[in-house]
Amino acid sequence: MSYTTTMNDDAHHHNPTGWRRWLFSTNHKDIGTLYLLFALTMLFMGGASAMLIRAELFQPGIQLLDPDLYNNLVTNHALLMIFGAVMPAAAGLANWMIPLMIGAPDMALPRMNNLSFWILPAAGTMLILSFVVPFFPGGGSQINTGWTLYPPLSVQVGMSMDFLIFAIHLLGISSVLASINIIVTLLNMRAPGMTMMKMPMFCWTWLVTAFLLILVVPVLAGGVTMLLFDRHFGTSFFDAAGGGDPVLFQHLFWFFGHPEVYVLLLPSIGVLSHIIPTFSRKPLFGYKSMVGAMIAVATIGMVVWAHHQYTIGMSLGAVSYFMIGTIIISIPVGLMIFNFIATMWRGAMTFETPMLFAVAIIMMFTFGGLSGVMLAVVPADMQYHDSMFVVAHFHYVLMPGAVFGLFAGVFYWLPKWTGHMYDERLAKIFFWINVTGFNITFFPQHFLGLAGMPRRIIDYNVMFTEFNAISSIGAMIFGFSHLLLLYIIIKTIRGGEKATAQVWEGAKGLEWQVPSPPPFHTWETPPSIKQVQS
Amino acid sequence: MNSPEDELKRKNIRLAWILGAFALIVLITAFPFWQNIFKVLGSAVK
Ligand code: HEM
Ligand SMILES: [Cu+2]
Repeated sequence: MSYTTTMNDDAHHHNPTGWRRWLFSTNHKDIGTLYLLFALTMLFMGGASAMLIRAELFQPGIQLLDPDLYNNLVTNHALLMIFGAVMPAAAGLANWMIPLMIGAPDMALPRMNNLSFWILPAAGTMLILSFVVPFFPGGGSQINTGWTLYPPLSVQVGMSMDFLIFAIHLLGISSVLASINIIVTLLNMRAPGMTMMKMPMFCWTWLVTAFLLILVVPVLAGGVTMLLFDRHFGTSFFDAAGGGDPVLFQHLFWFFGHPEVYVLLLPSIGVLSHIIPTFSRKPLFGYKSMVGAMIAVATIGMVVWAHHQYTIGMSLGAVSYFMIGTIIISIPVGLMIFNFIATMWRGAMTFETPMLFAVAIIMMFTFGGLSGVMLAVVPADMQYHDSMFVVAHFHYVLMPGAVFGLFAGVFYWLPKWTGHMYDERLAKIFFWINVTGFNITFFPQHFLGLAGMPRRIIDYNVMFTEFNAISSIGAMIFGFSHLLLLYIIIKTIRGGEKATAQVWEGAKGLEWQVPSPPPFHTWETPPSIKQVQS
Repeated sequence: MNSPEDELKRKNIRLAWILGAFALIVLITAFPFWQNIFKVLGSAVK
């Protein structure tokens, strides 16, 4: 099916140029690009903080940093990565691809789309200020709570915590607005004939993600607002001396925090649901079960939050419930993995970079899921809790489950966005360095945790030296490998072999019927049902 | 006047407000005011 653009010169079709094009943009492709560029910037800042942390941990004792700065870096690293890099990158993919995939001319609420992006640079600035403010005269103490912001510590920190609280408010507003936009787009803007159960899987994953965000982000916003009140307005929501309860904050935080891990995971699962069929040259196995599994994950995921709080002294009934609920989630998650494997089964597979990432993700994510089941077991977690084992677990789920999925998506769609093929040889080199570096960094942390090394501490016992040294070397390889990613992306934007509309031999769907790069406006007349089904 | 495009725009904006209102309700319930409501209700029953 060929695609033609009708270039009618209606008044609303003139395209602004220069900075106005970006600042005032209501175009989903431009806003998607902005999101992705923002995320890439934050990825490098978060990466720099991580490498400083690992440089300090290369040897026991204190060499480069001081304990306050170390804690500040740990906090800032997590927040930059989660709110600055992964969530905006996933939103960038959503902006670019959802309208193309469902045959819509744009997002449902284009001006709100502009707002939800442009809140981000402000929020990012506040986040970075929360890191640097203590270095100015009168700037107060550095943030030492970690990304979980537990009181009473978070009530005692200086004004940098206020910057952080406002940053979280802004980030929350941005992601709720973006979620609303995505839900409205998916429910109201699909091409005629595209029923919900014909929607591409990436759209489904984002629909569920957006609902999760609307359900949990306001709870985090409420929690940090109460922190703000406790800090400045004499309330005692979290202060036992005033009749409050610090554990209430933990419940609010994890009611957000656990679903948040699915927010980070699901869009990448959506990306894999496109890459694996394309490079296996087979349709996705078990579309319906995939949708069902995802809804199950999201629903059960909302009611298991206290597995992060086993050590607070809950009743036996409560910990048993949270343990069983948590372990049950591994069933639908496992089903998704089996669907991916069944899709590859007897497929005519080729291993371009997106597919390499996909296969690596399946293996490494499953590994992280297994250590998750270990952590879900209450008596075991009493030992593992707050150790490096937890750090190893969540990096094994988040790096493959979120970050590598986004990388895979970027390689998969970069030819569509830019009209140029990326350098496959360089990309494969990047893949191998990146994935090897990741494993060298985080695999030894399992052993460190099991041997008793606590997380979030600048110094450690000399018995942990070897594995920490290995981990830090891995971190340098892993960290610097991203410069190669940056180079590949810039190179692709600037030129390269021309990409066809379909780009990949096995690619199916509306997004592959528009030219590469797509014109500024696409699907102004919705595609027909026949196109939808092809 | 009532072109299908305007119709769609209205539908979109309405749904957006519904979702926004929902998010606000979630935000409000995060504040533990209901703890005391439960206490009051509990003592009223007794
Ligand atoms: C079968 C699946 C999973 C199970 C059973 C599981 C279980 C757990 C448990 C029990 C903890 C708390 C450990 C402790 O603090 O002592 C934990 C921590 C964590 N998990 Fe998972 N998990 C699973 C999958 C995931 C996924 C898919 C992600 C993200 C994509 C994730 C991200 C995290 C993070 C970020 C933390 C640490 C939070 C913190 O304390 O800062 N987990 N997991
Ligand atoms: Cu959790």
